[in-house]
Amino acid sequence: MMKWNLYSRGDKFFAIVVSVLIGLFTVATLYPFIYIAAVSFSSGFAAQAGKVVLTPIDATIEAYGYILKDPQFWISYRNTFIYTIGGTIMSLMFIIPCAYALSRPQLKGRRFFNLFIAFTMWFNAGLIPFFLNMRDLGLLDSMFGIILGFAINAFNIILLRNFFESIPQSFEEAARMDGANDFQVLWKVFIPLSKPAIATITLFLIVARWNGFFWAMVLLQSESKIPLQVFLRHTISNLSDDDEFAIVQTAAGFSAETVTAAIIVCSIIPVLIVYPFIQKYFEKGILLGGVKE
Amino acid sequence: MSGVNLSGIVKSYGAMQVVHGIDLTVAEKEFVVLVGPSGCGKSTTLRMIAGLEEITAGDLTIHDRRVNRIAPKDRDVAMVFQNYALYPHLNVADNMAFGLRIRKMPKNEIKTTIDDVAEILGLTEYLDRRPADLSGGQRQRVAMGRAIVRHPKVFLFDEPLSNLDAKLRTQMRAEIKRLHKRLGVTSVYVTHDQVEAMTLADRIVVMNNGAIEQIGTPMELFNNPSNTFVAGFLGSPPMNQMKGTLTDSGALVGDVEIKINGATGPHAGRNVIVGIRPEHVTLTAEEGTSPLPINLDLVEPLGSEALLHARHGEDNLVFKANTENDIDSLSGVNKVHIPAHLVKIFDADTGKALVLGD
Repeated sequence: MMKWNLYSRGDKFFAIVVSVLIGLFTVATLYPFIYIAAVSFSSGFAAQAGKVVLTPIDATIEAYGYILKDPQFWISYRNTFIYTIGGTIMSLMFIIPCAYALSRPQLKGRRFFNLFIAFTMWFNAGLIPFFLNMRDLGLLDSMFGIILGFAINAFNIILLRNFFESIPQSFEEAARMDGANDFQVLWKVFIPLSKPAIATITLFLIVARWNGFFWAMVLLQSESKIPLQVFLRHTISNLSDDDEFAIVQTAAGFSAETVTAAIIVCSIIPVLIVYPFIQKYFEKGILLGGVKE
Repeated sequence: MSGVNLSGIVKSYGAMQVVHGIDLTVAEKEFVVLVGPSGCGKSTTLRMIAGLEEITAGDLTIHDRRVNRIAPKDRDVAMVFQNYALYPHLNVADNMAFGLRIRKMPKNEIKTTIDDVAEILGLTEYLDRRPADLSGGQRQRVAMGRAIVRHPKVFLFDEPLSNLDAKLRTQMRAEIKRLHKRLGVTSVYVTHDQVEAMTLADRIVVMNNGAIEQIGTPMELFNNPSNTFVAGFLGSPPMNQMKGTLTDSGALVGDVEIKINGATGPHAGRNVIVGIRPEHVTLTAEEGTSPLPINLDLVEPLGSEALLHARHGEDNLVFKANTENDIDSLSGVNKVHIPAHLVKIFDADTGKALVLGD
């Protein structure tokens, strides 16, 4: 509860400015969602004519009917799930032990390794060398290649490493006295204590994988392997210069715009569903009470 | 068989040596307290026994087995940490069971062990709570419970009471002592609080600057400190120390001669430190006492007694006096009487206690 009387004039002014800015920001991020959803439920004519602002015009689900009948939509949808789940698990398998090792003072050459990891945040080989590397490893047009090739992410490692470093040393020592080896210390103490941090990077990983577009487009050729985002791109380019489609759509009541919007809505739904489950781990103060400094 | 034996234990961090060759034998079932000021190496020594710090040189044996290069988990020791280090994500029962599960003890045995220990520590009704929902004293008990359930050969305590408030500390101190009597496990206890050391220890090890100053029972150390450091560390307030010179019949402090038991003649002219415990002086002359004029500058009443802060020459002194008489009368005190048989003499240069012949 704000106790307005306790605020000075300057504080009140500040609170108002902040509220307005937050309000504007909320609108700016929320509106595209609403707009896309509205377009996806509008008729093709209305969408093309630019009549849609906030709510669907001539509401229809024709666009959904069109894409849900397309087998390629379901294949790429499935692929996106595979890349997201497989990639996230693969990444966590690398990132957690890596971050733990880098956070331990007893690691020999720790500074060097830390620098080595951080280095990749600022410099990387670039598009073509990376592509050639993947080609030479036989990972072109390979689903496993997509999962493995992007498993390690320096930013997430550093994020988690910093969190591990903030866990008091005495937890590790207590676990060691209790008989735990390195893996047990990590698995039974550090991971449970790091749920908020791990939930955060898991969400980062899921979103990055789910929206992963560029490298999938570069590295994958087979239609049977492309993820939803690449399918979306194909759909947009196919539909907009397909004369035949233009005739079909006029009759059916959808257009390239509404179909695109419908695919986007379909692709957003799973992330929206996952978020509340992960969000519950963003609880504060999980370390409270265990140690007293 | 010895519980824990340290011989020539050295700890260095790079070129800096912090523990300079410690020799100490802790008998089985003995309660030994390492005490000393911050940075004296007592915690480092304890952590070397635990296996949390590598030993640079020397030999460490636990129950006659050399453990220098043995992992903490295989040393059969348990440690209570200063900050408790309870796992916040586990409840009290799981905190205590953690080590047992890792050691693959059967489930029903774990349960009986936990229940027994919880009973001893009065934690039975808190077994389902998380550490965050416990009070400081309860957390401290859980930390001890976690050590006890494993039935280790040695308990190590690293300043376990320093995070508790004064009242709770006194209470937990008594509990630790009772627990030790009941379980009879070899214990090494680190503290900077000399009261804890005096009350808990079978033997006290006074450490300073990475070396042992003196080892002995609390009363031995209190009555016969081997040097000025120990004299100034134990006792509350600690022993008064005044610069002086030995004469044929006693010691000259400023222009006052204080009578001392023992033959001072052979040492006459030697520069010494004259030590007298605050509680050993009297306010009235008695047989065998010598008067010491003082300038009183503060009286601190403590209830049954009062502390007199005073000066004699350049030396700041503190004395204890009974308050059975009127406390106001204490403000008029201008001299105290020092009993000859309780005066301690230390060499002024080395700080070592001087043993005088008869």
